[in-house]
Amino acid sequence: MSLADAELNEVPHLEHPPQDALALETRGLDFYYGKTQALHGVDLGIARGKITALIGPSGCGKSTLLRAMNRIYELYPNQRAEGEILLDGEDILSGQVNAADLRARVGMVFQKPTPFPMSIYDNVAFGVRLHGSTSKAELDAIVERSLRRAALWDEVEHKLGSSGLGLSGGQQQRLCVARGIAVEPEILLLDEPASALDPVSTAKLEDTLLQLKKDFTIVIVTHNLQQAARIADYTGFMFMGKLIEFAPTASIFSTPRLVRTRNYVTGRFG
Amino acid sequence: MATRADSAVTRPAARWDEYLFRAACFSAATLLMAALAGVVVSLAIGGWPAFKAFGWRFFITAEWNPVTDLYGAAGPIVGTLVTGFLALAMALPLALGVAIFLTEFCPRRLAQPIAVAVELLAGIPSIVYGMWGLFVFAPWFAAHVQAPLAVHLTEGSWAARFFGGVPNGANIFTASVILAVMILPYMAAVFRELFLSVPAQVREAAFGLGSTSFEAVSKVIVPYVRRGVVGVVMLGLGRALGETMAVTFIIGNAHGLPHSLFDAGSTIASTIANEFTEATGELHTASLIALGLVLFIITFAVLAIARVLLASERH
Repeated sequence: MSLADAELNEVPHLEHPPQDALALETRGLDFYYGKTQALHGVDLGIARGKITALIGPSGCGKSTLLRAMNRIYELYPNQRAEGEILLDGEDILSGQVNAADLRARVGMVFQKPTPFPMSIYDNVAFGVRLHGSTSKAELDAIVERSLRRAALWDEVEHKLGSSGLGLSGGQQQRLCVARGIAVEPEILLLDEPASALDPVSTAKLEDTLLQLKKDFTIVIVTHNLQQAARIADYTGFMFMGKLIEFAPTASIFSTPRLVRTRNYVTGRFG
Repeated sequence: MATRADSAVTRPAARWDEYLFRAACFSAATLLMAALAGVVVSLAIGGWPAFKAFGWRFFITAEWNPVTDLYGAAGPIVGTLVTGFLALAMALPLALGVAIFLTEFCPRRLAQPIAVAVELLAGIPSIVYGMWGLFVFAPWFAAHVQAPLAVHLTEGSWAARFFGGVPNGANIFTASVILAVMILPYMAAVFRELFLSVPAQVREAAFGLGSTSFEAVSKVIVPYVRRGVVGVVMLGLGRALGETMAVTFIIGNAHGLPHSLFDAGSTIASTIANEFTEATGELHTASLIALGLVLFIITFAVLAIARVLLASERH
């Protein structure tokens, strides 16, 4: 049997965290862009209060998987997911869960910073105002706490009223993190959040994420293997729309079980 | 250390074709300025006899009488502003609604044909709208709105002050409706382009925080392109203020201040179009040119106000 055949016949190696530690779980998740199937039966467990990284070559489906978790794909009429995604045991694909409520519980930060065209304060308060009325004093406290947790407070404390668009790229991205956590989601999804940032901003963002995992469950899609190695507790390797290896980060990088994973993490392809 | 590489990419001395290109661009820009200045100056010179004869009373009196050679522009000025803003008030929410429906809710299969239809509507010549207004809309309006209304309106009541008038369908209100129909497709088409220009990630971020469609549109998508929105509003208003043919067909062409929304009136553009070929006296011609200058200034003011609004918002 040639090496290529061996790779193709590899059985996925999945070491998921124990069931009772899971905040979110996908079971047999398929995803379609029109007629093109992008995910094939993905089983994934996301541990509560940990950072889980998804890695893999471009087009492997890692962003797609992330976008299924808060059903943001529903904005596009020809995309659909099949299977189960359990959030606290409840299937969010069943049609029983309202998308707006779901997205308040599962927040998302995108590849490019996406500050809204309003003040820094209003950006952070945006989601809070959507999901209920709060007094000015409470809102002030939430905005300050969120900006502190996102490690941005010291830089913007004196200009909360100025436009969020005036910040640097790294600051904008931390503003988006602050905006995402201000509504106290259970899970924060990050889709290559550092790919548009310089190394210093990236380091700050990573520190922020490490601080945040005390309070939130974090799932991050990244092209940067060192980043996954630095901050993630668990790492999943995806290939051709399948999750083929999932394990604690240390073992993914030091003792990958599958040839394909080994080739990817050692830089031999991808 | 990179001096050698730098010198290799130093710009060569500008060549003659580069000079020609710059000169062509420069003259295109200055030609525009010159044309603008020329229009203003010639309007001011042509209208000067009217300003000299009537002074400020030109703007605040409504008597417009070629027989006695008395000209006051208050009627057409009020008519222009009322029809323009009324048309905008009717068209703006509809145009936003059409554009938002097309970009946010409409099934893709339907969106493209509707978008093309909107653009086709925007391209219909104004005289066609005018004829439709005169032959179809005005008679309908007279028979089904004004006539029943006339029976029930009490003389001198506040309702009569707003909605009284000869029930023939040619009035300020129907002219505004026609103007609204004319600027609606244009505004809807440009609004749609604007909303499509909002980056997908910004939309996703708005929905990703748990916004409903209304919240995402009203709080993020429209504000994201608000500069463009204000620009479209001003261009739509400018078109409504300056529209001539359709309005001349349907506004009733009565001089003086209109007494109600359903009363015949005139706009600056319709007055000029109606009378220019027949103006014999020097003062009559000068008054029409002065009207032209007023229209120019109103349109300019609209654009200037828009600029100021946008600039003050930046801080």
